[in-house]
Amino acid sequence: MKPRDVFSYSFSAIRLRKLRAGLTTLGVVIGIAAIVALLSISQGLQATITEQLQKGFATDTLIVSTGGGFGPGMGGRTGADSGFRLLINYTQMINGLSPNITTSIAIIQRAGFIKSGNITRVTTIVGVDFAEYSDIYSSTFVNETGNIPLIPTNETVVVGKRISDPWKNSTLFCSADDDVEIKWTNATNPFQPLNETYTGHVAAVLKEIGGFGVGPSDSSVYIPISKAESFFGTDECNMIIVKLKNDDKATIDSVSEAIKEAFSNEVSVTSATAVLNILSSVFSIIELFLGGIAAISLLVAGIGIMNIMIVSLMERTREIGILKALGMKGRTVLMVFLGESAIIGLMGAAIGIGSGWVLANVVALIFHGGGVFMEGNQAAAGAGAGGMTITPVLTPTVFLGALAFGVGVSVIFALYPAWRASKLKPVEALRYE
Amino acid sequence: MMSVTISVVETINLRKTYLLGKVPVNALQGVNLKVESGDFIAVLGPSGSGKSTLLNLIGALDKPTEGKMLIEGVDISTLNDNQLADLRRRIGFVFQFFNLIPRFTARENVELSMSIADVSRVERRKQAEDVLETVGLKERMNHKPAELSGGEQQRVAIARALANNPRFLLMDEPTGNIDSKTANEILGLIKRLNEEKGVTIIMVTHDQRLATQAKRAVQMFDGVITREIVN
Repeated sequence: MKPRDVFSYSFSAIRLRKLRAGLTTLGVVIGIAAIVALLSISQGLQATITEQLQKGFATDTLIVSTGGGFGPGMGGRTGADSGFRLLINYTQMINGLSPNITTSIAIIQRAGFIKSGNITRVTTIVGVDFAEYSDIYSSTFVNETGNIPLIPTNETVVVGKRISDPWKNSTLFCSADDDVEIKWTNATNPFQPLNETYTGHVAAVLKEIGGFGVGPSDSSVYIPISKAESFFGTDECNMIIVKLKNDDKATIDSVSEAIKEAFSNEVSVTSATAVLNILSSVFSIIELFLGGIAAISLLVAGIGIMNIMIVSLMERTREIGILKALGMKGRTVLMVFLGESAIIGLMGAAIGIGSGWVLANVVALIFHGGGVFMEGNQAAAGAGAGGMTITPVLTPTVFLGALAFGVGVSVIFALYPAWRASKLKPVEALRYE
Repeated sequence: MMSVTISVVETINLRKTYLLGKVPVNALQGVNLKVESGDFIAVLGPSGSGKSTLLNLIGALDKPTEGKMLIEGVDISTLNDNQLADLRRRIGFVFQFFNLIPRFTARENVELSMSIADVSRVERRKQAEDVLETVGLKERMNHKPAELSGGEQQRVAIARALANNPRFLLMDEPTGNIDSKTANEILGLIKRLNEEKGVTIIMVTHDQRLATQAKRAVQMFDGVITREIVN
């Protein structure tokens, strides 16, 4: 029997029992839809986070910080037990370590407050060298209004978009040319915390960045590094950002090693690439986990298919007898049965991929709505990470994988009933009532 | 020099024993029968005489316990399942209960046996129409079995059996399930196929009257042929 005839015979058998075939297909649809929805959402999430990290990170930079791991150092220091202090003027020493280093800058940051009019907001105060910082983060440390002075005065302040416009409407908290009060609580002596304040002048408001990471943030306030030194009363920095000539892995590795060696392993050196790698491996595990859960539902569907095929086998024993008496070979009978389950699997997978995709987009839409809400809260708290939009991603791998998995599971679970059908003795099958 | 003609069907001391539960039943106890091309033979006998068992063996649906079952000189005991399936494509089966596929129309039922035998789509369609015309059912070929009378269904079954130009037609009580008037029509059709188209026919029946219409009849009893009548 020709494959096309086998197919149309299988199809005619399915059409005869529409409801039953439909319900069996539904099982596959649900399983595949769950897999596709979960995977495309998590891949979309990964793409979003990666993209935002890349925005915030710049791949050709290294972050030198104290302590054992990657600490973006929000607020207090992450000092190691050994008492090692990462000083601001280490940048010159780092610059001399490798010809692959373009420049390096120190960053001091503290949790603090910014006051404009009668409103005080929580923020992160970041002390940087404006000229070099805008050189490293040339795409994100960019003014929307006002100007970022390369040689700032002590009073110069640059604010992130969410500081200027926290409510995302025309009501601005502050804008360029405003005077604001910068405040932090010096708790060096925990029994006698000291509030320190000065009046700054907003020179520029940054363009919206939207990302998160180590680079510029929408909800930070930037002051000159020299001012930060005196204001926070320290010569220690939270991190040193090292800009490299390129982002080759070899360059990153050799410079990382050189820096660690220079500081006798007292510092940790983190590259954006390394963080992205860790992130992607974490996401692989999450995807595997989610995919596994969804796969279980598909296995249940597979058992349903097996059940249906066994019932179908019993109902059609006589029919199989007729086919065999007409000269159909055992393996053709096998193909007829496998064909039926393959058709169910294919239809289920196709519908499942479609509905999974729709489901992923609906979830993303809900997520996005929630994101806006969250962002509102965070902006009010002054730590806004920017709204996160997940665009579900349906990669060809997921698409083809889901298709193959749907058909595969259906066929595998039909193997046993199909094999039994193919082995029926014609005389006995014909006698079957 | 003697010319050797090979019989369409030849059984040599054919024996078949099967288990009914745990009791062995000797259904055939040494049957010797020869059917030549163009023959029309009726196998008569009461139920339990072994005629259905004989039919299953001639139809290559089962293998003998002992003796030889030759179809066109080939001993079916030596064939594997696939070879038996190939052999069955050259045998035209007509069952007592028609055994049509209910979801297919008359034409599709006829085409099915040809599609199993790998006949091309175009050829199938033409041949199906031809054989349905032969059995006088061309006008109703697009009806499903449920829309056809018993006699019409049996005509479809005969058309299906004829579709692959078989070496012989094997009929199991072809009129057993239809009224006598229709049965006469079917019998007329069978005789015409034998006389006009030269189709070899082996028919199993317990109806004495039917047997008189065949060229010869063999009487079976308790697994052996007890009598042969040439009409």
